[in-house]
Amino acid sequence: MRDKNRENSHNWQVTEMENTTDLRFSTEFVSILDPEESPYRDEARPPFFWDLNLDRIVERIQALWQREVASFYYYLPANGACEDYRREVFGDVKNSGAYEGLCRFVERMEEHSRLRENKEKVHLDLQKSFLHVQEAFVYCQALAALAQVLEPLKLSSQGMRAFRETLCRYLDSPEFKGLQETARELISEIGRVRLTVTYENDRITVTPGETAGAYDTFLMQCFPGQNVRMHGPFSLSADLSELEQELLGLVRKQNPEIFENAERFCRSFPDYEKEVFLRFASEIQYYLSFYGFEQEMGQQGFCFAAPRVGEDVPMEAEGLYDLALACVRASQGLKVVSNDMFYGADERFFVLTGPNQGGKTTFARSLGQLVYFAKMGLDVPARKAGLGHFGGLLTHFSVEESVETGRGKLKEELVRLAPMMRDACAGAFVVINELFTTAANYDACIMGKRVLEHFLKSGCRGIYVTHLRELSKEGHGIVSLRAMLDENGRQSFRIMRCPAEESAGAAQQAGRHGLTYEQLRERLQ
Amino acid sequence: MNVYLLYSDKDHINRDRYYDEKAIVQDLGLTALFSASAREIVMEGGKVKQVQEADPVLEDAMKRVMLVPLETEQEILYRQEIVKDCLEQEDFIRGLYELSGEALECWEKLGRRASQRTGTKDSARSLITEVHVMRLFVTYLKKIKELFREYSGKLHSEGLVGMAERLEQAFGPEREAGLENILKAVAFYADKKEGEGYGESRLVNKPRIVLSCGLGEGLKPDGIRLQALETQRKKRRDPNSTLGRAQDYFSSRITDSFSVRKGMALPSQTAEMEYEIVRYVINFCQPFFDEFSSFFDRLRFQAAFYRGAVNLKHCMERFGVPYCYPKAAGPEELRFQDLKEFVMCLGQRANPVGNTCEISGSTLLVVTGANQGGKSTFLRSIGVAQVMMQCGLPVTALNYESGIFPSLFTHFTRREDSEMNSGRLDEELGRMSRIVDHLGPASLVLLNESFASTTEKEGAVIAYDVVRALTEAGVKVLTVTHLLSFAQRVFQEAQSGEAGWRAEFLSAQRTQDGRRTYKMIPHAPELTSFGLDLYDEIIGKDENN
Repeated sequence: MRDKNRENSHNWQVTEMENTTDLRFSTEFVSILDPEESPYRDEARPPFFWDLNLDRIVERIQALWQREVASFYYYLPANGACEDYRREVFGDVKNSGAYEGLCRFVERMEEHSRLRENKEKVHLDLQKSFLHVQEAFVYCQALAALAQVLEPLKLSSQGMRAFRETLCRYLDSPEFKGLQETARELISEIGRVRLTVTYENDRITVTPGETAGAYDTFLMQCFPGQNVRMHGPFSLSADLSELEQELLGLVRKQNPEIFENAERFCRSFPDYEKEVFLRFASEIQYYLSFYGFEQEMGQQGFCFAAPRVGEDVPMEAEGLYDLALACVRASQGLKVVSNDMFYGADERFFVLTGPNQGGKTTFARSLGQLVYFAKMGLDVPARKAGLGHFGGLLTHFSVEESVETGRGKLKEELVRLAPMMRDACAGAFVVINELFTTAANYDACIMGKRVLEHFLKSGCRGIYVTHLRELSKEGHGIVSLRAMLDENGRQSFRIMRCPAEESAGAAQQAGRHGLTYEQLRERLQ
Repeated sequence: MNVYLLYSDKDHINRDRYYDEKAIVQDLGLTALFSASAREIVMEGGKVKQVQEADPVLEDAMKRVMLVPLETEQEILYRQEIVKDCLEQEDFIRGLYELSGEALECWEKLGRRASQRTGTKDSARSLITEVHVMRLFVTYLKKIKELFREYSGKLHSEGLVGMAERLEQAFGPEREAGLENILKAVAFYADKKEGEGYGESRLVNKPRIVLSCGLGEGLKPDGIRLQALETQRKKRRDPNSTLGRAQDYFSSRITDSFSVRKGMALPSQTAEMEYEIVRYVINFCQPFFDEFSSFFDRLRFQAAFYRGAVNLKHCMERFGVPYCYPKAAGPEELRFQDLKEFVMCLGQRANPVGNTCEISGSTLLVVTGANQGGKSTFLRSIGVAQVMMQCGLPVTALNYESGIFPSLFTHFTRREDSEMNSGRLDEELGRMSRIVDHLGPASLVLLNESFASTTEKEGAVIAYDVVRALTEAGVKVLTVTHLLSFAQRVFQEAQSGEAGWRAEFLSAQRTQDGRRTYKMIPHAPELTSFGLDLYDEIIGKDENN
């Protein structure tokens, strides 16, 4: 035992000398979210989040993942290159077989940061040094295990490959090897310590080694199958209580080398973590959480597709649905209606009309979500989809009249619309839901046409949901869509290319309630 | 542990009560029966010395058990057997009921409700209570086991013999020894405050605890195992006395040890450790608590029923009313001899006239005849007997045989209905309609002067339709009626074989001189109920005014 220790300390001398090398890793691979050195930002929720019910989706994702990931979903890629970078990484997470290994890595790193937080919380240096050893050991294990998972995989994304290279190089460095070896030895030494604590006649005695008396075995025989864990029995806080300190004083007296070794370890490896891996452990959860969510939804029959994205890819989707609605429905075991859609070569704007509660808003949302998730480099809620890069995503949904601002609804709408139209960067995707509902029909038509004109001129694509049939006149890149009713006059939630029609007749309305003459006769039979 | 004294396979009466039990209790006057079952009659030299206050627990249990009908002959026999055992060994059931009651009372005193209501602010105190409760359970289980052993040859019913066996199994010698060992080991904790030995012996309970462990996260002790736990009788020691300090000093020189009595923090942290260890041990005993936590409640509730049966038997004996154990028969059978209306007997403290009846193969019984002739009493006596039979109790008759009707309904005219806001007929029809909603496969409907709140002609038509529809649907109907055109129509149709009636007709007996015997005799319905005189006398005159 003694000899072995001396040997260890000899090794450490070497490590301590080499410890100054190689801090260049941070220059190569930075972030799995962005190929360029971009500032790590605290983003606010983008304004379209509420309109598209994305907050509900993210809530669901976070609930499933059980860790804070929401802010990643607020961080939009700055350009098409970044979108593609993410899409490739997500492809690897999904398809390369790395998913499970990455999840384990995140768990281990979580354990690591829990230990580190613990270390910062406790007050005794003695404890800090032991926690430092344990924390370093977990860190080493996490990285080594991840490398083992990634090494044999066929990775195709630039991001994951660069990360793997960085990781493997680090693991091969003497710095890491020294750290790993010493931590491992120390941990197993600590693990071998057993002691017996006897409390009798107001005194506590500590003796090395285990005493077998096995009262707990007796209890288990009395009540077989009972799985009882002892709480405590010493203090529950991470800190050592006075009683525990007294105990450990005696333990230290009996095992002085271990305590010395732990303290030396702290001196040798004060700051061993590499920022790049900590950051990776956090950022990779963006992909993992979404994939986990995707699988969960998949089990309930909701499909996702990796979209084809490119400048000359026509915008189209099959089986497109509102993912936020699906989240709600899934929990009730229900399905949602999906729709197919495409924009022809010269088509820029959908104008969607149809009966109330006919699925118009839902369809508009699903289009917005399509653009959002594609932009985020993730899969989209559809069976199949393709689209181009968009410069931005703008939405305008009518809201309840705001009491606080005291403005009328129309004014409210215009105030919110103005910045969108002013800044409307060229090439954005625009979702507008029911503008000017409180204005007179004539005024509303004129204003609506102007808004459409404006966005068309700015080279935007989008959808405009309205009850004004006049806006749906085709031409100039405008396509008329309509929410359809089924043969019984009920909402089908299907959206078709179709000119707008006169408001639904009274007979149909009656039919919806099962109140036509025939229906009544049948019911009263 | 399951008690299984009410059913052979369940402890919870999760079955439906009688539909509209309120109506049944009111129409049959069962409240008097519940209350009689809850009063102990103290006899002395063949005379009633004292009738004790009603025991609310008994009364409540009786009510809850009686209003949930048994559904099969086996179920009835299962209870009847236990009733027989209990009526023969009154002291046994008395003991069982009292022991369970005592256990619950002691538990109450230990703060059962308080600990159930609020979590617990004082965890040490609640742990001490748990130990005391455990000791209480062990004590009373031993007593109950003892009681069963004492009567082991004298009990024959499946229910009681089975329970004795189950008790021996769930609380066998091994378990008993294990629990007593644990109780002894943790005695230092539970009986800490009982500072015996201040004066003479100066001995106190102190723990001896041996733990083994390793070093875990941040040096916190980890992988802890409890190696030994016991309570020792030790001398009380003052840590600040010269002797105490000297002992401490020498002990720490000899071994790696320290005194937990020094300083401010150590004593309280040691107390915490004691708490956690006792908590750990007591948590192991959770299955024992689970097994018996509701046992005493269930036992008292179920024993109460048989305890109540003993009281009812005493009532019957007091008024000289013979009783029998009724037999289950087919739904179309109704046979009894000298059946007395027990509720009336309780109310009048007398032995009323009994009736005898011999009906088989009928789904309808129509009783007509003289007013004030005992028709309603007759109908009620059947109702009461039916309810008593269907909960396993003996019945006040020489013998009684009838079908089992878990769906028993009473539809009696209500003289004064307070909740009524529509017309009386409307209310009656409403009640009838609700009954129709709830009719089951084995239904018995007692109609007493139903549809009397309209003209005879209309009432008769309604009654005819309802009764015909019900009987055709397989429902048994016993009706007392003054709707004579209804009764006669059914009688004539039955005579000529029309409409498939299978009916019997009884009438209140009236002697030549108009005296009423309160006996029902087979008799075709007559067009007069002899109440017309009465009617003319009172109402007719009023109308003429």
